[in-house]
Amino acid sequence: MKLLHSFLKDLRLAYRTYYVYMELGIALLVVAVLIFVMPENFNRSAKAWLHVADASLPAAAIEKALGEDGLDIGRVATGAELRERLEEDRSAIGFDLRLEDGRPKLVFVLQGYESASLRASLETSVEAAFSRALPGYRASTVTTTLRSRDATLSDRVNVLPVFLAMNAAFMGLFIIASYIFLDKSEGAVKAFAVSPAKVWHYLAGKMGVVAVTGLASGLLTVALVAGADAQYPLFVVLLLATNAFGSAVGLFIASFFDDLSSAMGWVFGSVALLGLAAVSYYLPSFSPLAVRLLPSYPMLFAFRETLLAAPDAGLVWANVGGYSAGALVLFLLAERQYRRRMTA
Amino acid sequence: MVKVEGLYHSYARDGRYAVEDVSFAIAKGETFGFLGPSGAGKSTTQGVLTGLLQLQKGAVTVAGHDMRKPERSMFNRIGVSFEQSNVYDKLTALENLEFYRKLFDVETLDPMELLKTVGLDHVARKKAGEFSKGMKHRLTFARSMLNRPELWFLDEPTTGLDPAIASEIKDIIKKRKEEGATIFLTTHNMYIADELCDRVAFIIDGKIKLVDSPRALKLRYGEKLVRIDARWEGGTRSETLSFVDEKDRGRIKALVDSGTVETMHTLEATLEEIFIKVTGRGLA
Repeated sequence: MKLLHSFLKDLRLAYRTYYVYMELGIALLVVAVLIFVMPENFNRSAKAWLHVADASLPAAAIEKALGEDGLDIGRVATGAELRERLEEDRSAIGFDLRLEDGRPKLVFVLQGYESASLRASLETSVEAAFSRALPGYRASTVTTTLRSRDATLSDRVNVLPVFLAMNAAFMGLFIIASYIFLDKSEGAVKAFAVSPAKVWHYLAGKMGVVAVTGLASGLLTVALVAGADAQYPLFVVLLLATNAFGSAVGLFIASFFDDLSSAMGWVFGSVALLGLAAVSYYLPSFSPLAVRLLPSYPMLFAFRETLLAAPDAGLVWANVGGYSAGALVLFLLAERQYRRRMTA
Repeated sequence: MVKVEGLYHSYARDGRYAVEDVSFAIAKGETFGFLGPSGAGKSTTQGVLTGLLQLQKGAVTVAGHDMRKPERSMFNRIGVSFEQSNVYDKLTALENLEFYRKLFDVETLDPMELLKTVGLDHVARKKAGEFSKGMKHRLTFARSMLNRPELWFLDEPTTGLDPAIASEIKDIIKKRKEEGATIFLTTHNMYIADELCDRVAFIIDGKIKLVDSPRALKLRYGEKLVRIDARWEGGTRSETLSFVDEKDRGRIKALVDSGTVETMHTLEATLEEIFIKVTGRGLA
């Protein structure tokens, strides 16, 4: 009962401060940006301009083949016009197809900023298209999709795991530390310390409030952006476990400091460090061991699973178990630390 | 009710002690005053007694609980009023008391009645953040009474209050004293200590210099003198005479018999004067 009263008091205090509204406001802002600003899927086709210098070349077939490779092809009449178009659009590339000594020759016209690997990749892909357009075409490239389920998330929904990890899970880290320091500055911690309630009642009550606001902002975002496609029971369990973990990290950090200003570096440093995992989430080719070891890294992929039509429930439950255990260990360490120096 | 033996406390644990070899005992129903200037070690001692500071060295028993391993249940019998008000600013006065009331395992007083006792019933539903310093102090004081504590720790209970409110607070303390509460009063106000305490301890630089009742201290350290203002040849003449000296006693009798006495005051020492005499330092 003391835990319940502590939780209800903290809930009341939370709704009389700005933190809750800040978290819900951020959630609504993200929803608005995702729905009204961001397209459901990004258009990945690059603009390319094609100049075919000799009428004997199969221009239409080459244009079609390049288009099949995801390029948005436009035709120009002269080589000068080709360069002019590329100057106008610095993201576009160009192809100048001509006959030299009776043989077709393809000249790539690039902007200059493309990396060597992009140039090589472009060359391979375009030459494949070029060879397809000619008689005697033989496939030279085989594409295998390793994880077919990846394709089932739209670009818009694919943003959600990062938001969920940062706002619903790790925003709690900052908020719970703020609640603790507010209590310390008001001296309310001392008053609680001379009551018969236990320290864990005090800490767990605050974690409960952070869980409620994290759940509210998380459900609001997922319901409005992902709609009925998300796996809500799995999502809620994962969100509660990750939120508890984030809160426990916040409690643990706050237990070493007397005020928010002295703890600020650690609080924001932790959030920034955990945020690094988002880079690897979007750029899988950048996933060094140091990033994969961050607690936020598996969290992002677990959240993604809960948004898929056919999730890997085992992966989600493994994450739930891991974060719950981590939260429990950190909570116990924090509780011990608060008992020692709650009123220091 | 309270027993302290050889208490030492160092904040930095570096051998520099805020309190050093402090020993005293408080009997059940006694009001014990801890008198000393700022930084003398009063709050540190109270911090250890209330479990807010860890017991490092010495033996301390509070309401039957060994403070080496204090149990949370002991706070069902203890009330603590802090010098610095510490209430939730975002909660109303009533919400503050209602919340703390629910943390006790024993019967508690009605929060509204308590607010009435300290003169805050008219602002019961106002947020504490909108209160003046004195009002917050009264709310903190009221909170410490919620569980009708057997042992009541009061840290500067009248500091910063206007005289009328301070007088009301003193009356409440006297009433609880009559009801049998044991009171540990920390203050640098010698008038409060003199008025309320059965015994006082003088503490300075972390060490107790003396423990006794205000009356015994006055008898021991006070001058046994009386100052008499009497009419004399169309004006007034002031004389300071000893109770002890036989010749002076005769002079006092003669003045009283002459019917010329206008005012007569015993020159007993105040606690502050005794404190200065004993410690060589003032209380401010």
